[in-house]
Amino acid sequence: MKPLMKTKKVCRFTEIGVKYIDYKDIKLLQRFVSEQGRIIPKRITGTKAGYHRELTLAIKRARHMALLPYVSDSVR
Amino acid sequence: MRTHSYESAVLINAALEDDIIEQIITKLQDSITQYGGTVKLVDKWGRKRLAYPIKKNKIGYYVIFQFDAPVTAIAQIERIYRLEESIIRFLNLKLSKFALEHFADQKAKEAAAKVLEVAPVTSTTVQEAAVAVPKTEK
Repeated sequence: MKPLMKTKKVCRFTEIGVKYIDYKDIKLLQRFVSEQGRIIPKRITGTKAGYHRELTLAIKRARHMALLPYVSDSVR
Repeated sequence: MRTHSYESAVLINAALEDDIIEQIITKLQDSITQYGGTVKLVDKWGRKRLAYPIKKNKIGYYVIFQFDAPVTAIAQIERIYRLEESIIRFLNLKLSKFALEHFADQKAKEAAAKVLEVAPVTSTTVQEAAVAVPKTEK
């Protein structure tokens, strides 16, 4: 059996060398949130653990300020 | 007294008139300086649609303050936020040195982008002028 081709996932944040993930940067955060508004696990996005922790905090802050939905309108 | 850098985001009821909102913003700024803080940046985002309704509001007016303040001032500032009825939500954060570096980098990038923008703007005005010329000939 042929081994499945695996594409290497790269952490977006380590590539650029991000220092701080801002909760106000909604465009960035939306890439790490599913259509329903849930945070996509790091095993799928390939984000490094430390950055993922920062990212989840940023997403939760954005949710508090109503910049991102807790639950998207399509589900409700 | 130890001072730190802070950021606070405030969501104001957008149903109010613009000048009343301005008054609230200046009031909040004054209260920060009153408790020994120095406001570094006031970023008015203006009215934005909320991701979900809060207290039956669907739009809100976002303001972001960045300021240096002594540690004790934060509790006082938060108290004022809670007492102000037109504030729907707020978020106070202490900024780490990484965050401050990030904002400094962002500012530098924006400044660089502005320098680049100057050139295309002049070219569009030239194009507009070129378009305008044939019209006048007719």
